[in-house]
Amino acid sequence: MLLSVEPSSPIPIYAQIVSQVRAAVASGDVRAGDALPSVRQLATELRVNPNTVAQAYRELEREGITYVQRGQGTFIAEMDAGRKTAEREAAGEALIARMVDEAFRLGLTAAEVLEMVERRVALGALADGAK
Amino acid sequence: MPHALLTRGLARRMAPDFAVRDLSLTVPTGAVYGLLGPNGAGKTTTLRLILDLLRPDAGEVEILGVNARRYPAEARRRIGYVPERLGIPGWMTVARALRHHAVFFPSWSRPYAEELLLRMELPADRRVRHLSKGQAGKLALLLALAHRPSLLILDEPTDGLDPVARRDFTELLLEYVADTGATALISSHLVHELERVADWIGVIDRGSLVVETPLEAFRRSIKRLRVGTGTPLPGADGLPFDVLARVQRPREELWSVRGWEPAMGAVLAERGVEVRGVVDLDLEDCYVELLRGRGDPEEGR
Repeated sequence: MLLSVEPSSPIPIYAQIVSQVRAAVASGDVRAGDALPSVRQLATELRVNPNTVAQAYRELEREGITYVQRGQGTFIAEMDAGRKTAEREAAGEALIARMVDEAFRLGLTAAEVLEMVERRVALGALADGAK
Repeated sequence: MPHALLTRGLARRMAPDFAVRDLSLTVPTGAVYGLLGPNGAGKTTTLRLILDLLRPDAGEVEILGVNARRYPAEARRRIGYVPERLGIPGWMTVARALRHHAVFFPSWSRPYAEELLLRMELPADRRVRHLSKGQAGKLALLLALAHRPSLLILDEPTDGLDPVARRDFTELLLEYVADTGATALISSHLVHELERVADWIGVIDRGSLVVETPLEAFRRSIKRLRVGTGTPLPGADGLPFDVLARVQRPREELWSVRGWEPAMGAVLAERGVEVRGVVDLDLEDCYVELLRGRGDPEEGR
């Protein structure tokens, strides 16, 4: 899992960290029991305020994505398949919502957007098959 | 102690046309506080007043609960100060500079200073005047950290450093903050740099504090609105937010506003103003719009 932040994004830095860790869990990039970097480590690596990283870690713990082992650090929590699917779907929904909003702003019709999405999905499947 | 640093009504006249006026800063303990302002706004003067390097005409300074005007030496010992320019005579070697500095700080830790020296790859036997800019910047940080202060005051610390040196400097600073929970007050006109590390900001303009707020709240409150025009738009009087600037565009106007909340769209609709979009701004945009709203010429950053 490689985290990166975009400080000038309208999304607060702590929320960017939270959503990237969630995405990594949903995609299977990290698994239950994997350790997260320490607050100090991640703050230095991303060159952000340690308080911001700590805030992200508190949020992840509160949501049950991670757990804290006293004196050992922060780890990815066990997540059942249903929750994992739900996480993946929520991330996907958010992505699609942004895209559809933008497309409508361009003046595309619903039918045009659907057609483009289908074409793109077919292309993606093709590229996947070729691997 | 909720606040690492308080100033109340701090004032000092520096020139007939320049003064720091009634400055009241509140820096919460553990914050990384970015003090922003155009060149010549009074940032350095403010820091020098806090450090008792300048006598204020009026006002109080409290550092880590200590009245700094009454007990300046005690307050100073608990501060790590990175000045704009390294105030060490050029003929001194790095090692000598360390010994020279250590004398003033009872809590100076030699092992920690040695450790930093190694980490920073500073040549102990080199004369200060022969250091590169990046090395001089690191030495300034070392001299500020080795007595393990609870409050760091940094004046334009990375100005003039190349990207590698700047990154090293920031990493060392953040490690220290993460390890100790120290508070940092950083003055800078490099807004992008502060955007990453600061969680509080204060903006100084022409010797006065204009804004002091958590960084996220600042960014939430300043927005650019795309406002539809068919008919001439009403004035901005009596609106529940400040309009800092208005720019005409074909068939719309762009309003930079402060104090915006989403529910305010309805207030505008009642007045026949259609909000077509609300654009988020980054810290630099917010800062520039805020200063423009004060009728400033655009300042270099």
